[in-house]
Amino acid sequence: MNLGSRKLFDRSLTGVSIMAIILMSLSLLVLLGPIFSRGLGAFIFRATSEHRRLLLEQFNRGDAEEIAAETRAVAGARRPVYEMLEKFKKELATMEYPRRQGFRAELKEVKNLLRELLGPLPGEPEGVMLRQQYGQTRWDRARIKLEQILYSEQWDYSDTRSMGKKILVPRQRSFAGTQLEPLFPYLKNNLDKMLRPRLVFYWRFLSDVSMNSHFFGGIWPEILGTIYLTLGAMIFAIPFGIIAAIYLSEFASGGRLVSLLRVCISTLAGVPSIVFGLFGLAFFINTLHLSNSKSVLAGSATLALLILPTIIRSAEEALKAVPHTYKEAALSLGASQLRMVLTVLLPAALPGILTGIIISMGRAAGETAPIIFTAAVSVGQPLKIWETLSQPTPALPWNIYNLATEHQAVDEIRHVQFGMVLTLVLLVLLLNLAAIMIRARISKKMRG
Amino acid sequence: MSDAVSRLRRLTALILKGFLLLGTALSLVTVLLIIAYITRDALPFFKLRGPGELFTSTAWYPSGHPPEFGALAILVGSGLVTLGSILVAVPLGIAAAIALSDILPYRLRQTVKPVIEILAAIPSVAYGFFALVIFAPLLQNRGGSLLAIALWLIALPLGLLLIFVVTDAATRSIRADVALTARLILAAVLAVILVRGLLALSAKLTLLRIASGTNALNVSIILGIMALPTIISVAEDSLQAAGRELREGSYALGATRAETLFKVVIPAAGSGIIAAVILGVMRAVGETMVVWMASGNAAQIPSPWFNFLSPVRTLTATIAGDMGEADQVTGSGRYHVLFALALCLLLTSFVANLASEWVLRRQQRKLGGLK
Repeated sequence: MNLGSRKLFDRSLTGVSIMAIILMSLSLLVLLGPIFSRGLGAFIFRATSEHRRLLLEQFNRGDAEEIAAETRAVAGARRPVYEMLEKFKKELATMEYPRRQGFRAELKEVKNLLRELLGPLPGEPEGVMLRQQYGQTRWDRARIKLEQILYSEQWDYSDTRSMGKKILVPRQRSFAGTQLEPLFPYLKNNLDKMLRPRLVFYWRFLSDVSMNSHFFGGIWPEILGTIYLTLGAMIFAIPFGIIAAIYLSEFASGGRLVSLLRVCISTLAGVPSIVFGLFGLAFFINTLHLSNSKSVLAGSATLALLILPTIIRSAEEALKAVPHTYKEAALSLGASQLRMVLTVLLPAALPGILTGIIISMGRAAGETAPIIFTAAVSVGQPLKIWETLSQPTPALPWNIYNLATEHQAVDEIRHVQFGMVLTLVLLVLLLNLAAIMIRARISKKMRG
Repeated sequence: MSDAVSRLRRLTALILKGFLLLGTALSLVTVLLIIAYITRDALPFFKLRGPGELFTSTAWYPSGHPPEFGALAILVGSGLVTLGSILVAVPLGIAAAIALSDILPYRLRQTVKPVIEILAAIPSVAYGFFALVIFAPLLQNRGGSLLAIALWLIALPLGLLLIFVVTDAATRSIRADVALTARLILAAVLAVILVRGLLALSAKLTLLRIASGTNALNVSIILGIMALPTIISVAEDSLQAAGRELREGSYALGATRAETLFKVVIPAAGSGIIAAVILGVMRAVGETMVVWMASGNAAQIPSPWFNFLSPVRTLTATIAGDMGEADQVTGSGRYHVLFALALCLLLTSFVANLASEWVLRRQQRKLGGLK
């Protein structure tokens, strides 16, 4: 090759590798961008009067008088809607049979949507479920419901080569000439008077229990469950992790046993997390009977085994990074090995050990697969601390999965899902940030 | 110091050591217990149905009457997704590791490292949620044009580079004054062919309709990104371990940075890079949440087998998804077949882990000998 091509080759290698770094950073941005922007929507959103009524009636929060006045004002704005419905019902009775029949199905649909938008219609019994007692609490959801009322969805299958095409048909057109026709423009123009959206910062999303399977309320049971599971895992894993690290860095003298132990640790680190879950089910629950079925205890124990290798490795590295002179000084002063480890080695290595512990805390908090069979349930109340020994708990990672795939109305509670993901990601990122800061301090100290 | 005291001291030291050893042995015990318990619950399945059906049939109806336990499609699904994530993660990961170890200046390196750490720290369920809620609809609605853009971004620079190499090789033996013109003409012709081909291919891709965004492609890309941190950090470590002397020796002989990397550093660090790839791949094989949420979970062999746009089902997702139904009904085939699948997964991870250990140790010995 001539010099030119060699140079070009060199440049293109530089280009490709920098591209890889850029791509990686971009994918991180693409991943976190929507999670942050839409996750914030669970906390900061335009809340309707229904939201304030719900908070007052279910959580006893807010100014009762003010909300009562607001409810009256809102009811005033809604009255024409209900009057139009009544008038149309009377008109319907005067129509001849086929025409009446044609309107009936669509009227039912409109009424259902109106119930979802504004809450139960006047004069109707309230539903059993909380979701049937309130209208839309979020303005963005209310706007979507409004669209569904204004336009009915129909599918066009005339083009056989492709999948059906969606067409939106204004309902106003299908009700043209009837008493119900003015309902649609009225709804469109007065929705803000009927719901009174106001921007709120709903930080209680973090501390409220969920109501009616996450249609309303917050995610406190999940957060508490995640905290229990994580702390439980740390209680089991930290002592064993540090003991193993001390042994491997200070007392192990090479040889077969030690290399076997090392192989075991790295093997354990490579076991897929779902296998840990199965093992937890087969061992902790079906064999040891730690609890009758899933429990926080069994889940924590499983998670502890999962993070044990991480803790051992980072603690061992931290212990090895302590300068030899420290140990030698302590030993030459006549301290026993135990004393040296406890009073010199561990304190000196503490920040490094802490870093590893914090990082594995993040790992334990985010793991889903090991807790599916051992600890997690979809719906549950916040547990008391002694209940963790025998009760399963909802947890953030599991409920993100559950709400995003198995919930009855996946699309309607997107904001809750995003809020949960944001909470979990922030929790893990903050833990990692703390670890990074501790590490920066250590390296500064080492250099200084 | 009296004899008794020193004996006492030795005794306490011994007890201490034994105690620590006992704590350390927990890892050993855990590994043994995992093997024992997964095998214990997997064996009844093989006794019940024999080993043949699991690996040869594609009929997966564990709750049917009579039940059928053909996991071939599931194994193929796992394999396909793993292959896809290798295709995404290995080139990207190795290129990024090279950038981190040899190309970026120190300051930039320090800012890129947290990016890798964050990628590694984000919980798998968050990746899965992203794949299901954001990436899948995107693929479904704009998949064709996205693929076309990706094709241009990857194929154009690489194709141009290839053209350069080919023309250089083809005109090497020609006289120097004619060579330049010949090269230019040849390069122009090849470039036109390349662009034409890419145009045709991307036009076809744009028209492509993707029936469902939850498919093997989606999962492969996400798993590839998840495997990146492992690959990058292990590969970078081994590239660093190749040492300065080797690089400086090569530079002194007049080699460029690329030549040094490809002819000296990578051969020396090769086994470490292989270990990095193995560990990264294992992360993809063992990952549950992303594939469970976003792979479509259809137990079928895609046709043709490399059709990444069809939904697949993997080992991990099957275990996670089916255990709920069969929950703790010990003795039923449905329960034990999942342990049989877990045993496959476990054995794969053991083999991969031991292989990476062995490869890394070999490199340590090799580099140790060089110094």
